[in-house]
Amino acid sequence: MMRNILFVFILLIVSKSFAQLDSIQKLKVVNLSSAKLQKHSKGFKVLALSDSIILKNTESFTTLLRFNTPIYIKEYGAGGTSTASFRGTSASNTAVIWNGININSINNGQTGFNALTVNLFDNIDVRSGGGSIEFGSGAIGGTIHLNDQLRFGNHIDNQLVASGGSYDTYNNLYKFSFGSERIAAKFGASYNQSENDYDWLGTDGLKNENGAYNNLSFSLGFGYKLNKFSKLSVFSSKFNGSREFSGTLPNPSAAKEKYKDYNFRNLIAYNYRKNEFAHDVRFAYLTQEYRYFADKNVDFYNYGKSKTFLLKYDFSFQILDNSSIESITELESVFGSTDEIIEKNRKQFSQSIIYNLSFENIASINAKIRKDFNSDYNVPFVFALGAELTPLKNTFIRVNGSKNYRVPTYNDLYWPALGNADLIPESSLQSEFGVGYKTKQVKLDVGVYYINSKDKIVWTPGGDSERPGIWTPINVAEAVNKGIEFTAAVNKAIGKHLFNFNLNYSYTIAKDKSTNNYLTYVPKHLANGSVGYSYKRFSAFYQHLFTGEVYTTTDNLDNYTVPYYNVGNVGVNYNIIKTNNNQLGLGVKVNNVFNKEYQVLPSRPMPNRNFNININFKF
Amino acid sequence: MKISKFLLSIFLLSVLLVSCDDDDEPQLPKGDYENGILVSGEGSGAASGSITYVSDDFATVEHQIYKQVNAGKELGTYLQSLAFDANNSYVCVDQSNSITVVDRYTFEEKEIISEGLILPRYMTILNGVGYATNWGSASDATDDFVAVIDLDTYDVTSTISVGNGPERIVAKNGKLYVSHKGAWSTNNVVTVIDIASKSTTEIIVKDNPDELFFDNSGYLVVLSEGNTIYDGSWNVIGQTQGAISKINTSTNNIDQEIVFPEGSNPTLLVTGGMNMYYNLGSKIYKLGNSDSSLPSTEFINTEAGYLYGMEANDENLFILDASFSGQSTMDIYNLATKAKTISVAAPVSASKIYFN
Repeated sequence: MMRNILFVFILLIVSKSFAQLDSIQKLKVVNLSSAKLQKHSKGFKVLALSDSIILKNTESFTTLLRFNTPIYIKEYGAGGTSTASFRGTSASNTAVIWNGININSINNGQTGFNALTVNLFDNIDVRSGGGSIEFGSGAIGGTIHLNDQLRFGNHIDNQLVASGGSYDTYNNLYKFSFGSERIAAKFGASYNQSENDYDWLGTDGLKNENGAYNNLSFSLGFGYKLNKFSKLSVFSSKFNGSREFSGTLPNPSAAKEKYKDYNFRNLIAYNYRKNEFAHDVRFAYLTQEYRYFADKNVDFYNYGKSKTFLLKYDFSFQILDNSSIESITELESVFGSTDEIIEKNRKQFSQSIIYNLSFENIASINAKIRKDFNSDYNVPFVFALGAELTPLKNTFIRVNGSKNYRVPTYNDLYWPALGNADLIPESSLQSEFGVGYKTKQVKLDVGVYYINSKDKIVWTPGGDSERPGIWTPINVAEAVNKGIEFTAAVNKAIGKHLFNFNLNYSYTIAKDKSTNNYLTYVPKHLANGSVGYSYKRFSAFYQHLFTGEVYTTTDNLDNYTVPYYNVGNVGVNYNIIKTNNNQLGLGVKVNNVFNKEYQVLPSRPMPNRNFNININFKF
Repeated sequence: MKISKFLLSIFLLSVLLVSCDDDDEPQLPKGDYENGILVSGEGSGAASGSITYVSDDFATVEHQIYKQVNAGKELGTYLQSLAFDANNSYVCVDQSNSITVVDRYTFEEKEIISEGLILPRYMTILNGVGYATNWGSASDATDDFVAVIDLDTYDVTSTISVGNGPERIVAKNGKLYVSHKGAWSTNNVVTVIDIASKSTTEIIVKDNPDELFFDNSGYLVVLSEGNTIYDGSWNVIGQTQGAISKINTSTNNIDQEIVFPEGSNPTLLVTGGMNMYYNLGSKIYKLGNSDSSLPSTEFINTEAGYLYGMEANDENLFILDASFSGQSTMDIYNLATKAKTISVAAPVSASKIYFN
């Protein structure tokens, strides 16, 4: 129904606006979500992934993040369940934000990073640390922002990216963008599939059986400038994916599991900006469903689904040239159910106030507070403070502090016979200090942080003394995470030879406060980087990832670890056509070029050396 | 509910488990595993299933013996049980659909049986033939079977179809006896299989029968744990009664049934010669083989955090205090003094004890 309404709505606007086409040649990128994020992230580290980076790792969101961000990813075999954590915090402490809307699952509080494709997004921002309080629950470790960009100004652009490679892997996408002075429209479609039956290195001929996947996604964006001051925009995206879950050593043929995901996200936004006032009203309707087949050969599945209605009103007032105040009011209603949990409705009202102050070339500061009123439990009052000082030319100092929370999930609360309705939200206090250097060619940033989390929700046998021997979640653990993060980006041109270099390194110490043991699955050292070179029509790159050893047991047994590993990918590209309007590139990429045997999770070997060829056609 | 379902749900939730155990790992030279105790751990998200060797004097403890002997190979999860014949040990690992055959004294691998098994649980051996219970597909309650395994070729040669959730299996006089705990749901039968004709007979017992053994007077003793009952909103509204049933195998009648009071649900039962030992929570109770009523007071209060396995010999009672996210503990109690004499480290998710 909602879909029909949207399409009718879009048609109406399209027909109306075509009548008003005019021909002012002005190309303007409007990416409100991203711009606002930058404005609200003073003192925080935000890493922007452009579409050219996104297109280097089209195989999955997981590989994109693994090779380009300081995020640690747990992946249950390539293409399987995949979760992300920042700075040693848990997977449910990473919030994924789609065009300004938190899309973590209501059922488990997480986003599966192989359960959505990001190839169609125009850019992705990765923000480390808490302080994204305007995006709600779960933003303790950090937030990942998936942004659609609307381009006004006359243009018609098409882009086709297709690749084919080892294990019958095909990744294809098509993007279309159209703009006039008052209209911006875009459409994208992506289809990916793979048999994913790679050899398990170091075994006697075992393969990654039952690892096949395919997914299809569409995205649609439409913007219309009603007048000089106001604009209406609509975004919609749909994803259908099917994945098999591969098995473990010693017998991968035992694996029979299959998982299907269906996501449908819709957003309509209206902005009005005149003089010192700006209004932004958003209404979102999101649905998510998963189906879990314990045996893919039997037509029986467990499912979970949710639908979310969200109304967000953002009002900002420019007090003086250098200061503004903003109010964000949000009303959310979520309906969630699984085959074993009858539908529950959670309602939440929240109010945030954000104050920005800046002194040109000296400092900028933002302060935020938020209070939620939730139908299920008390949510703590949270805040964030961030400041960026620029004492010398090209250098900056950033500091921030925040309090964050993560609400219990439906599974935590209502899982049949196991859930615990008395849970309270997890909360954390954190701070960070960093210094950096920034010119057009060089960006350097080094920061230290400290996170203290309490009331962490942990599933424990015998967690409830009334129910001995029953696994149940309780608010128990307190953890301290501290570490250092270093980021470098260098671009250098020598004549027509262009070089670029990127590096992310993080050192993380995350400990359970009661035992003083390291948290499981937190590598002390994590580094990734890339070098790129281009000369006229030719370009080449190399990506590298180092992940340190992790403990898998809470008592840090030395004989239960996942060893460290190094893995590298290399690619070359040649543009057969390169004009202002057209570009046709042909590329070859070799993943795991050194054919290293490695595991991300125990007993689950990762892919051996594999190849793909790709074309990138812009017209 | 079954622990495997809990583990499955935990996997789906991808939550971290936290517990705290002391970390002590004595490193001792590899040797003969002939005189000692084998403790098996199911494994979990934190670790593959594994086997720990403990010498008879408890002085030597060696973890992950299969991995150490066989060039770092893992057994897989979830390691349910071991079966033995004169030379071999057969390691049943359900999620891996495998039974790994090793030399029982050196633990060198001989074969991994991975064809024809679907969630293998327990195995017994009679006249050079192995019989392994299998739950079948996780999505089908009607395809459960006993796999017949030729122990010369290590091939599954045929199957015998049985009711839902076959668990323990014992053999006597040309017959197999299988308890049906009900896999992911519930069941209340013991199946008698005539090996020659492959005909089956079901004996109805109390809900969720698990442990199964012959006592010293030849009775087939079965522990039924009882089943938890939920209302539509999954609130626990009660439990069916558990029982210790004694089956006369010449008539297939239950000659004696000691029923537990409502709300008392044992999960473990072992035989120790003239006595049996069962648990309620972390307390152990002692029952004479000829007793007709339950003891009123406990024999030993173990204070185990999660009592997950138990075994007895003439002298000692061995209990497993399991951790699913780290090392478990095996506590050894002297049967005469009831005192805890020693604790040794046990594998992750430790569940079974065998005397080798």
